[in-house]
Amino acid sequence: MPRYYKLIRITIIIWMTLVLIGAFSFGGFLLNIPNVAMLEHTARNLYFHVPMWFTMMALTALSAMHALQCLRTKNIVHDIRSSTAAQVAILFGLLGLATGSMWARFTWYEGTNIWWNFDPKQSMAAIQVLIYGAYFALRGAIDDPQKRARISAVYNLFAFVTVPFLLYVLPRQLESLHPGADGNPAFSDITDPMMRLVFYPAVVGFIGLGWILYTQRVRLSRALLKIQTINQQR
Amino acid sequence: MNAPNQSPNWIFGAAAVFWKDFRLEFRNKSVLGTLIIFVLSTLFIVLFAIGRRDLSPEIEAGLLWIIVLFTAALGLGRTFLSEQERSTGMFLRLHTQGIMVYFGKLLFSFLTILCANSISVIVYLILLSIEVSLTGLFVLTMILGTLGLAGATTLLAAIISQTARGGPLLPVLLFPLLIPLLLSAVEVTQISITVQPSVERAWSAATGSLITMGSFSGVVIAASVLLFDYVWEE
Repeated sequence: MPRYYKLIRITIIIWMTLVLIGAFSFGGFLLNIPNVAMLEHTARNLYFHVPMWFTMMALTALSAMHALQCLRTKNIVHDIRSSTAAQVAILFGLLGLATGSMWARFTWYEGTNIWWNFDPKQSMAAIQVLIYGAYFALRGAIDDPQKRARISAVYNLFAFVTVPFLLYVLPRQLESLHPGADGNPAFSDITDPMMRLVFYPAVVGFIGLGWILYTQRVRLSRALLKIQTINQQR
Repeated sequence: MNAPNQSPNWIFGAAAVFWKDFRLEFRNKSVLGTLIIFVLSTLFIVLFAIGRRDLSPEIEAGLLWIIVLFTAALGLGRTFLSEQERSTGMFLRLHTQGIMVYFGKLLFSFLTILCANSISVIVYLILLSIEVSLTGLFVLTMILGTLGLAGATTLLAAIISQTARGGPLLPVLLFPLLIPLLLSAVEVTQISITVQPSVERAWSAATGSLITMGSFSGVVIAASVLLFDYVWEE
């Protein structure tokens, strides 16, 4: 098992390197992106921003799934998995927020000097990060590991059921410039086929990167747990 | 614990828990008294801060709901902490099922907040001299908003009663989850305090948000019923 793990890890690292080279290849024959007015080379952000969101969503679902498992089986390993997924999800959420905000600053809000204009997608992302922040504040306030696992799993699931309301309410009340919202053209209509050559591998690569970070942290926490139990037995 | 609590007399159990809380509250009036003073002093702080200015309905509605939110966060944090302090939690656990405790506490929280809110709303409307053009819509929003607030807060109050230093944690856990409810409530309140040329059109404009608030309350209460046992059982 560990040998396969190393193999997969090195594959993802090489894969991501290739994606980065693809994303920043200027002026070659291949992968030359079309020059769309206003977007220009910021379009390359597509290779980073969108996959980061996909990774965050995948990790959010994973975190909720393990929270459910934790309540059903009372196994502390599920708590480790759930909270680690939430940690990595916060990381990707903040990165997605930063890349999105930058992208918006130099396209939608060009010349206005604003970074943040309460676009529904931005607000949604900020609230999601806040919820996970609250989740970790809650974890910090409980000392007993079993109790912490149970209580934080309850909060995780409780927060998870309110998220669909955000998806419904925010776009109704705030206007959006984001592609795919409010009759704006969706991804598939506006993206040049050439860009998909990098975009799809980037999605796979970022999800793989999230997977590496997640599994490594899980392995670390499990190792620490094992050391702790050995120390207690002495 | 995983067996569903389908005892036919859970309504009577919930009523008994509610009646216990009500009588305790009636005896020393600690929660409601504090809440009313809190509401009044918050109102005056808001009024002094804005001075003698004409505000748009958006801002009036927003300020009103911020006051309501803070009242709930202050008042409802005690729901389960008081059991912990009086060491009566174990007694309740022995004699009732989780679902009875949940619904009893929910009803008590709902009525407490409704009481405090009615006072704050009346004083707010008089002091800012706001004309409510659609009274029915306004009252309905208040009731639905309070129901969603009480529904979300009851489970979180049970959660924070399990933590070491719970008190200040409640707003942190509560506010990110309440944003969908808050946005809809502010929108409907704003419609009901703006002068409307056509009553039917105003109601149909508010329908979407009213449905959101109703379903938010429903989903939050349903999720709480499913998750409450995990928090309540030791």
